[in-house]
Amino acid sequence: MEAIKNALDFSDFPRVDMFVAGAVSIGLIVFPIFPHSSFAMATMIQFLMFSLYGMGWNTIGGYGGQVDLGKAQYVGIGAYTTAVMLIRWDIPFWFSMPIGVCLSVGWSFIIGYPLFRLKGHYFAIATIATSLVLKDLFEVWDFVGAARGLEISPIKYPPPDFMRLIFREDIYYFYVILFFFFIGILYINWFRKSRLGFQLRSIKDNEDVARSLGINVHWAKIKTYAIATAFVSMVGSFHACYIKSIEPEDTMSLDISILIALMAMLGGAGSLWGPIIGAGILIPLKSYLKEWLGAQAGLVGIDLILYAIIIMLISAFEPRGVWGIVEKLRRRKRN
Amino acid sequence: MDILVGSIFAGLLIGMILALVALGLTIIFGVMDIVNFAHGEFLMIGMYTGLLTAQGLGIDPLFTLPVAAVVGFLLGVICYFGFIKFLLRGPMVAQLLGTFGLMLFLRNLALLIFGSEDRAVHSGILVGKSFDVGMGIIVPATKLAAAGLSVAAFLGVWLLMNRTKIGKALTATALNAQGARYMGIPTERMNALAWGVGGASVTIAGALLVNFWSVNPFIGLLFTMIAFAIVALGGFGSIPGAFFAGLVVGIITEIPGFWDFFSYTFDADWMMNVPMTSFKYMWVYVAYFVIVVLRPRGLFGWKQ
Repeated sequence: MEAIKNALDFSDFPRVDMFVAGAVSIGLIVFPIFPHSSFAMATMIQFLMFSLYGMGWNTIGGYGGQVDLGKAQYVGIGAYTTAVMLIRWDIPFWFSMPIGVCLSVGWSFIIGYPLFRLKGHYFAIATIATSLVLKDLFEVWDFVGAARGLEISPIKYPPPDFMRLIFREDIYYFYVILFFFFIGILYINWFRKSRLGFQLRSIKDNEDVARSLGINVHWAKIKTYAIATAFVSMVGSFHACYIKSIEPEDTMSLDISILIALMAMLGGAGSLWGPIIGAGILIPLKSYLKEWLGAQAGLVGIDLILYAIIIMLISAFEPRGVWGIVEKLRRRKRN
Repeated sequence: MDILVGSIFAGLLIGMILALVALGLTIIFGVMDIVNFAHGEFLMIGMYTGLLTAQGLGIDPLFTLPVAAVVGFLLGVICYFGFIKFLLRGPMVAQLLGTFGLMLFLRNLALLIFGSEDRAVHSGILVGKSFDVGMGIIVPATKLAAAGLSVAAFLGVWLLMNRTKIGKALTATALNAQGARYMGIPTERMNALAWGVGGASVTIAGALLVNFWSVNPFIGLLFTMIAFAIVALGGFGSIPGAFFAGLVVGIITEIPGFWDFFSYTFDADWMMNVPMTSFKYMWVYVAYFVIVVLRPRGLFGWKQ
């Protein structure tokens, strides 16, 4: 009960924030009623998915300050669990998703134990290494379709099928992921005020002091890593049902890991709204740039060049992201 | 037996070149504690430089090394003054993602300019020639030349770092940047020099590599990871460490050859059924993981 009350309590934010957040939430809920192109709908779903990925990364990367660049492996585990279970044994999404989360969390404990003995650069590169090893394995494992990947055929399961999450119109997917999105925000809101949340922030500020205060640093990091993993794996399962065709290259590549970290970094790591702001800026920018410059003007890769320039500018001049700028402006106004 | 000896020899040869690839990374890390994710992209630029100079001027790819070195030096210095300098003020997260942005930028710029197809050198004095030494060792002339020149480049950098005043200034900056500044060493310029030397050594490696390895814009990541593994094994910041670790990692990349050898020797069917060549580079990643977990300092490292 206490936990639910905490999750619903946003009172430590200024009132302006709450108005904006409320307006955005209502906007998201009523968005499908207005006329929109299917491209806008797809972009919207991507935005919600990546804000959830970003929220997951934000727990360990933002609040905990551990730069994890291997989140894509959990996208892969989640997506593959759901797809394999649906294709081979006809197990619906709502059962396979928790199983996928369990598998991901189990794997995260196995690699998290040695990983969190490392710090800084070593940790970041080691997460990349584990992710790439897993990708290489999936590319030759015949059971999961090797490099060809898996395809969920909608003919076999006539849509709409709510249990298996197979729909013809994107609007159903939109509401499912929107539901996850709100649950995610409430969970993170609870998390940042929980015991673990405070422990993490003290670890980020100074690990030695945190240890001297009696915090089990290693265990706190592993726990948070598992939470981040659960978020990512959950959305990975959704990804499998939504895209319906998965292969190692587009679920587990390093680019996905970076994109996930980038959402939180651009918006402002270590804040509740950061990943959402980041995804809200980057995802529409990415898909529309790709549409206008890549597909129409025929300039391959120019969308990613602009992307890279944004990353470089952000990391060189405002490492705390958009939310950092907002807070700076607020502080200046107060003084 | 032939396969075994051949694999070891091939591994050592490629290891010498991989060591040169990692040298730039270890210099940059040693001097200023920043990990350059764009390292593989520098290598790719070196490869394209070698290829295009050779094709444009109609000279042998082996003689393009000076051009590649100049391009690499300028690239490193420009990156430092244009971008890295600003990154150093920020936290580590920003540094990691910043060099990552640099990597994406260079890779996609190459994609935009050169297109995504594989390109390779088709003609040259050494291309396509090889010596048969016996014992199952067949040495492609390009690899042998590349390995020899790589050792020479290594010696050059080692002499620069250990026998000259500039090298001493670089070491001083690495050990204590503030102290070095008090002693009148222009640390800013030393950092830029480290980036220049690092860039030059990796583009030289690229120009050597292009003799027997086709190049495309996406090749960078593989070599970035290999270079990380070598630097981690040798110890971040150690030059002799990088050389020996390069040899070890070269042998690790030849694990499929050993696998074949053992599966023939023991006549084990299950071993032959494993598609080991698909795992060729996976062992490098596994090796990195094991090394940093068990011995974060590396074999010769002095930085933790």
